[in-house]
Amino acid sequence: MTQKNDDTKVMMYKMANRLKERVGFNAPKDSEGFLNPAAIEEADKLIAEVCATCPETISKHLATLDALWEAMRSGSPAERDASATKVFATAHEIKDISAMCGFELIAYFAESLRDYIEKTNLNLQAQIVIVQAHLDAIKVVHHRGVKKDGGPEAEELKRMVQKAIDKFQ
Amino acid sequence: MSLFEKKPLPYDLSNFTVLIVEDSLYMQSLMAQMLKAFGVGDILACESAKEAIELLSVLQASKKSRYLTTVDIVLMDWLMPKGGSGEELLKWIRSNEKDAIRFLPVIVVSGYTTEYLTATARDLGANETLVKPISGNGLASRICSVIDHPRPFIKAPHYFGPDRRRQTAAYLGHERRIHPPEEVKVEKP
Repeated sequence: MTQKNDDTKVMMYKMANRLKERVGFNAPKDSEGFLNPAAIEEADKLIAEVCATCPETISKHLATLDALWEAMRSGSPAERDASATKVFATAHEIKDISAMCGFELIAYFAESLRDYIEKTNLNLQAQIVIVQAHLDAIKVVHHRGVKKDGGPEAEELKRMVQKAIDKFQ
Repeated sequence: MSLFEKKPLPYDLSNFTVLIVEDSLYMQSLMAQMLKAFGVGDILACESAKEAIELLSVLQASKKSRYLTTVDIVLMDWLMPKGGSGEELLKWIRSNEKDAIRFLPVIVVSGYTTEYLTATARDLGANETLVKPISGNGLASRICSVIDHPRPFIKAPHYFGPDRRRQTAAYLGHERRIHPPEEVKVEKP
């Protein structure tokens, strides 16, 4: 391996394949290898098991969001800030889980809520409407169990949330 | 295949250590279980870029200790709102002065399917990207890819990371290269 300090040079480092040396005695050394198909199947089973409980997990997170939202609306500015941080984290968690399990529309709204909370000062009444619109949209989608992008109905929901953002922002 | 020829066996990952950097404990646990199913020997997990940086620094500093492991592959989430993002971690890894860190294979896992993410991750030196929802095959193929196709690293004025040119199609035009690509040292005009 060669290295020069001159920052204007383009250098190529070609190294020994350290990982390939450690994949097992009988694994192919000169060609592409593979993981045990049974292990891959097991991994897929794990995903399926996790995704089977996904609606239930999202329900729990939605209940948390509801409680936090109530606390934000009625609390002092300091309490609002603390709750906003938790709303952010919960929305992020919902986004991750739903994206993982193919609930793309829930992931979309959760991400939108998370990003909105991050950028916004929630002391303004107008912005409270926007957060509520996100929560309502997530609940509708979750209640209907919509997977993937949700089609024209989903577009309508997205438009409604966007309208709330545009109107009250 | 003759009777005496050895049948190729699947990769044994029991000597591998994979570091998962994922802020969602739910996802972290799922990925750890998947890696365990693949037979990965050691699985380390961090909740943020900051935590991962601290861990990698400690492991690097104490690499002479036979009780501490070294990381072979980093599997990182891209958007981690608290404690530093995947982007920050990838920049730290690729700009690190220690070879054991800056050459680490990195697989970025993200819920974003945008071209922006793929391009940013690639331009910051990610080896592979994996978009959620992940599957057993998807994760396995990325792991096999970093094992089977370790691209050479390129150090250019504005880039350090695996060679971003993946295509191996033959060039049909007039050959103007004097040296094979491995020997090329390009000077800035």
